[in-house]
Amino acid sequence: MGVTRSGPDVARSAGPSRRAQEAVVLGGVVAGAGLTGLAFTAPGLEQPGYQAALACWVTLTYVLAGLVAWRRRPESRLGVLMITAGFGSCINFLVWSPTDVLFTIGLLGQFLPPVLFLHVFLAFPDGRLRYRIDRTVVAAAYAAAALSLPQLLVGFEGDRNVLAITTEPIVAERLQQLQLAALGLLLMVGVVLLVHHRRGSRLRPAVGLLMDAFLLALLMTSVLMLAGLFGWTIAQPVRVATFLALGLAPIVFLAGLLQAQLDRASVADVLLHLGAGPTPTELEHAVRRALYDPSAALVFWLPEFECYGDAAGRQVDVAELSERASSAIVRDGRDVAVLLHDPGVDRDLLRSVVAAAGVMIENAQLQVELRARLEELRGSRARIIEAEQRARMDLERDLHDGAQQRLVALSLELATLDRDLSRYPDLRDRLAPAKAEVSASLAELRDVAHGIFPAAVRDHGLSVAVESLATRAAVPVRVVATTGGRLPERVELTAFYLVSESLANIGKHACASHALVEISRLQETLVVEVTDDGVGGAATEKGTGLRGLADRVEALGGRLRVWSPHGGGTRVRAEIPCAP
Amino acid sequence: MIAEDNVLLREGIARLLTESGWDVVARCETADELLVRVAAAAPDVVIVDIRMPPTYTDEGMRAALSLRETRPELGVLVLSQYVEVPLAMRLLEDSPDGVGYLLKDRVSNVADFLDSVDRVATGGSAIDPQIVTALINKRRDDNPVSRLTPREREVLALMAEGRSNQGIADEIHVTLRAVEKYVSSIFTKLDMPTAPTESKRVLAVLLYLRG
Repeated sequence: MGVTRSGPDVARSAGPSRRAQEAVVLGGVVAGAGLTGLAFTAPGLEQPGYQAALACWVTLTYVLAGLVAWRRRPESRLGVLMITAGFGSCINFLVWSPTDVLFTIGLLGQFLPPVLFLHVFLAFPDGRLRYRIDRTVVAAAYAAAALSLPQLLVGFEGDRNVLAITTEPIVAERLQQLQLAALGLLLMVGVVLLVHHRRGSRLRPAVGLLMDAFLLALLMTSVLMLAGLFGWTIAQPVRVATFLALGLAPIVFLAGLLQAQLDRASVADVLLHLGAGPTPTELEHAVRRALYDPSAALVFWLPEFECYGDAAGRQVDVAELSERASSAIVRDGRDVAVLLHDPGVDRDLLRSVVAAAGVMIENAQLQVELRARLEELRGSRARIIEAEQRARMDLERDLHDGAQQRLVALSLELATLDRDLSRYPDLRDRLAPAKAEVSASLAELRDVAHGIFPAAVRDHGLSVAVESLATRAAVPVRVVATTGGRLPERVELTAFYLVSESLANIGKHACASHALVEISRLQETLVVEVTDDGVGGAATEKGTGLRGLADRVEALGGRLRVWSPHGGGTRVRAEIPCAP
Repeated sequence: MIAEDNVLLREGIARLLTESGWDVVARCETADELLVRVAAAAPDVVIVDIRMPPTYTDEGMRAALSLRETRPELGVLVLSQYVEVPLAMRLLEDSPDGVGYLLKDRVSNVADFLDSVDRVATGGSAIDPQIVTALINKRRDDNPVSRLTPREREVLALMAEGRSNQGIADEIHVTLRAVEKYVSSIFTKLDMPTAPTESKRVLAVLLYLRG
C-alpha cells in the first residue's frame, strides 16, 4: 500500500552523547569568556561590560536553547542548527580583537548572524527547510553574507585588513551597499515567508506566538540593514531592542518546547477521558483535539477486507492515503490503523498521540470492521434485489415477446380459420373450444406476466402504473403523484411495489373506506405515502409483505415507517433516495 | 397501415384486413418507420403495437400521441399485451375522435376487431372492454352506477367502448329506438349532460366513470 512512513515511526534518533553535551557546554563557557575578554580588551570600545552582556545574550541563548532542543527533540535538526547559529554569531565579535587576523575574520563573518537567524527561523520547528523557496532564500542570504570576502580583498577597512590585495574604496563601498540591500531584502522576504507558512498551517496558539517573536526580530534586523544602506539614523535603543528580540527568539522557542511537553501530557488526559472502549468517531475526535489538527483522520486496517476503512466503515482509497502526511498506528507489532494529519504537527506530540491511540484502538477497529461488514451486507442486499428484479424483468420480456405473441398469433390464425370454415358448421363447433382455450391461456399468461414484473412501471412510468393500480383497488383510492418525470428504475419499482402491497393490505385487512396515495419528490428523495382510514394495527413484523418492502427500501438507502395505531388507520411512508 | 414488430401478428392482421376489403398500404417494424411512412402514404387508420424496438417500452404509445397531435383526422388504433386506464385517458384526452386502445387478444374476435378498425377509421373510438370494466367496477362512495339496471349498465359499458347506438342495438339484439331510451335514461340517472355526438360521449362516459 502507499502509506509513506514518516515521523514518529522512523527509528528515534539518538540524543546528543554526554561528550557532545559537555563539549557544547564547554564551548559555550569558552565563548562567553572569550566575548567578555574581547570586549574588555577591545581598543576604544565603550561600556565593555554592557557590550559583552549583549553579545552573550544573542549568542549563548541560541547555544543553550539549542542544547535543550537537541536533548529533548533529538530527531529535529533545529537544536544542532541553533547551536551552530549561536557559535557562528560569535565570529563577528572578533572585530573587537586587537589582533589584525582575528579582526579580519570578524569582518569576514560580519553578516553571518542575521543569516543564521533567518535559517533557524525558517527551519522551525523540525530544523529542515521544507519548501524550495525557503532553501533558495537562505542560500541567497548566505551568498550575500559571503560578499564580505570580495570587500576585504579590495581593501575594505583599510590597514588592519590582512586580506587586502588592492585598495579600491569605491568598489568596496558599492559591494557593501549591494550586500546590505540584498540582506535587507532577503530578510524581508523571510518575514513574508514566515507569515505565509503560518497562514497555511493549523498549529496551536503557542506556536503562533513563537512565530510572532521571530517575525519581530527578523523585521527589525532587516530595518537595521536598510538603515545602514541609506544612512538612516537608528536610535541606539532600537538597536538594543533588536538584539534583545533576537536573543528572545530562542527563549520563546524553549517555551514552545515546554508547551509541546505539556501537550504531550494532555494527550494522555484527552485519550484517557474516552473510557475503556471508545468508538471510532470518539477516538478520531480525541486525536484531533490532542493534535490541535482538525483535519486529522483515522483510517483503520480491516484485515478481513484487506483494505482501509474510515470511522463509518466505508472503504478508503489508498491513493487518498498516500497524498497526505500519515503515521502508522501499531498494536502488538501489527499496523492496525493510519493516522492522517497536517504535515506541520509537532512530532513529539504526534508520537505520543500515535502511542496512546495504539492502546485505545482495538475496540474502535473492531467496530469499524463491523460497520464495514454492515456496509457490505447492505450492498449485497441491494445487489440481490437488483439481480432478482432483472431476472423477473427478463422473464416477463421473454413471455411477452415469446409465448404471448405466439398465442396471439395463434388465436388470430384460429380466428381466420374459423372464418374460412363458415361453410362447415360442425368443424367450427370443434374449433370453438380451442379458441376459448387460447383466449383463456392468454388472459392467464397476462396475469402471470404481470405478477412476475409490473411492465407498466418500466414502460410508462410510476405515475401511470400507480394510477392503474388505484383503479383496480378494493377501496376508492385518490392518487396525488408529482414525480417530475421518470426516476431510476429501481426507485420506481420499489415505490410501485410499496403502493401495490399497501393497497393490497388495505383491501385485505384495513376495512377502510378510503385510501390516499401521495408521491412527491423532495430534492433527491422520493416520498411515497399511503394512508387509509381503516382499523390500523398493522406491523412490519407481522406481514412479511411490509417487512420485505422495508428491506427493499433500506437496500436503496431509504427508510420505511409505518404508523398504525389501533382504530386510527394506517400510514405507510417511505423515503427513497432517487439521485440518478 | 400496420406497425407491429412481431411478424406473425403483423402479417396475420394484414391478411385479415386485406380479406375484409382494406388496403394495407404499409407494414412497419418500428414506430419511427411508421411516422415516416404515414407522411408518405396518408392512410385512413394506423394500427400500432405499443411495445416495439428499440427499447420495447412505449414507442408505439409515443408515436400514437404524436400522430394524434399532428394528424387529428387520422384514426389511430393502439394494440397492447395489457391495457392501463391512465393510458386510455391520455389517448382520449385531447380529442376522442378516431382513437382505439385494445388488447392484442381482441384480434381473435374477427368481427369485433374489424368493427373497431372501422369505427376508428371513421372518427369513432374503440376502448378495450377491460378498461371499461375496470372503470365501471371501480369502487367509490355512493356509486351512482349501482342505480342502473343490469341492462342499462350493459349499454353504458358498450357506450364507453365506443359503440354507436346502432352498434349497441346489434350487439344486444334490441331496436335502435330501445337503445336511445336506455341511453337517455342512463344520462338522467347519472346526472350527466347529454353529449352532442356519439364519439364525444365516449370520453364523457369514461371521465365520469373515472371520477
